[in-house]
Amino acid sequence: MPRVYQIVFTGCFLTLIFAVPLTQVGIEIYEGQRPQVSELFLHLPTEANLRGFESEVEDSSWFAQFLRLWMQYLRFELLWDLGEKVLLGRDGWLFYRPDVQYLVEPYRLSETHHAAGDDPFSAITTFRDQLSRRGIRLMIVPIPGKASIYPDKLTRRAAAPDRSISSHTLELISRLKKAGVEVIDLFEPFRRLREKQPMPSGQAYYLRQDTHWSGMTVSIAAGVVAQRIHNLGWVDRGSTQYDLKLVSVRRRSDIIRMVTVPGIERHFPAEEVRCYQVVHRASGKLYKDDPRSPVLVLGDSFLRIYQTDEPGSAGFIAHLARMLKHPLASIVNDGGASTLVRQELSRKVDVLRGKKLVIWEFVERDIRFGVQGWKYVPVFAD
Amino acid sequence: MSEPNRAFAFVLVLNGVLAISCGQAGEAGVDHEVTSLGSAEVTARLLEIPGEFPPNDLYDYAYVLKYRVEKVHRGKVLGEKILVAHYNPLKPRSSVQDEFSGLVGGNLKKFRTGDVHRMALEMPLDLLWMGGIFDKYFSQRGIRYWAIWTNLVKK
Repeated sequence: MPRVYQIVFTGCFLTLIFAVPLTQVGIEIYEGQRPQVSELFLHLPTEANLRGFESEVEDSSWFAQFLRLWMQYLRFELLWDLGEKVLLGRDGWLFYRPDVQYLVEPYRLSETHHAAGDDPFSAITTFRDQLSRRGIRLMIVPIPGKASIYPDKLTRRAAAPDRSISSHTLELISRLKKAGVEVIDLFEPFRRLREKQPMPSGQAYYLRQDTHWSGMTVSIAAGVVAQRIHNLGWVDRGSTQYDLKLVSVRRRSDIIRMVTVPGIERHFPAEEVRCYQVVHRASGKLYKDDPRSPVLVLGDSFLRIYQTDEPGSAGFIAHLARMLKHPLASIVNDGGASTLVRQELSRKVDVLRGKKLVIWEFVERDIRFGVQGWKYVPVFAD
Repeated sequence: MSEPNRAFAFVLVLNGVLAISCGQAGEAGVDHEVTSLGSAEVTARLLEIPGEFPPNDLYDYAYVLKYRVEKVHRGKVLGEKILVAHYNPLKPRSSVQDEFSGLVGGNLKKFRTGDVHRMALEMPLDLLWMGGIFDKYFSQRGIRYWAIWTNLVKK
């Protein structure tokens, strides 16, 4: 081979090898940072340090970030692929993949979780017993995921109305009821509503592009829970009067927020949502929690949506308060209803003073995918 | 010295020079924001990261970290060891602010145990952040501070 070819090939090879790291070092120096590669020489070359270094190089690589962004863009434009956490359904509906995985993948509550000491059944019954020793009752409210109520918007093949696809949740509900835990089953009323009372055109009981329920559905769910509390006679009906005020908000999809494809909002603009704000009749002010309430509500973002999110005071908590005729206390931890919210309660345990009832809400996928699992939490110090 | 050893020594020296030369700017982590935002300003050492940071996919979390206060520059903090919640700690502070966070920022790129941070803090956390909170210190009573601005103090 002529020497000039050898030089060209060698040059190309060296460029391939060194162009990326040298450019990365140049960018880091230009931005006033210490080059990431120097970390390699500043720590002992243990397995943990080297793995950490590898991970940091991947995270901080300008090339990786730049190329990843444009690869995702191409995948979306050519294949309508929105990434590993998002499923594109029918008629423009979007689904969060763990919601669907929870429904369709084989999974045994008793084996998977129990072996790891990470069992929703044990966590709930233990919490019930902790509260019971202080004279406080517990009510559990598992929220159906969107795919449970709208499987036909995920795929045409899942549209058989008589087929239950939320068997994991129904199994847990059944076990809890047998153990004497009060559980609200929202699956049946939601399915019945879909069949018997279709929403007006363009509206649905769940948001098309978001993981959450619609502004009207929070009120329906609050009605089911309030009715059960009244039937059980667990909490006296209050005397505070509230009115409703119809408002519309534009909600940017939480699913689309996860997608890093440039310009994605053009394809999935914010959804308009109608909801009812709860207004204190005497003062005309929007609903506000009262920590001294006999009822404490614990849960996740299904409680936060419309409540502290826009438009405010239009979420599940405000509607339940209106139906019980007194304000409620609440602790909300997004995505953390399985364990984090009880940890937060443990930190603020004084809020349980004077409580008669704790309502614990969680979205059904958390039965399997709850952040931090279903850890035992010593809510009370003793 | 053999050829490979010479090359390795060169890379080592080059990195040392780069590390030293890049460690000059803003060593004490002082900038306009950290000295003016929030009700307190401290220099504190990050004592531990109690577990993996949660991924930033569907939710945005605040993650509570434990610090030992080295100096209080402004305002008042309670105790030598404090618990500080950082918004989405997987992201560099310069790009962490979003529509939910309110004003947060700084020059810190990555949280590492043992590093010293200069922070502008506010409290109480529960009134400043309504979203998810990872608090592995939940059994410890006391204040959680909200980190508004976090700069790295270079050693």
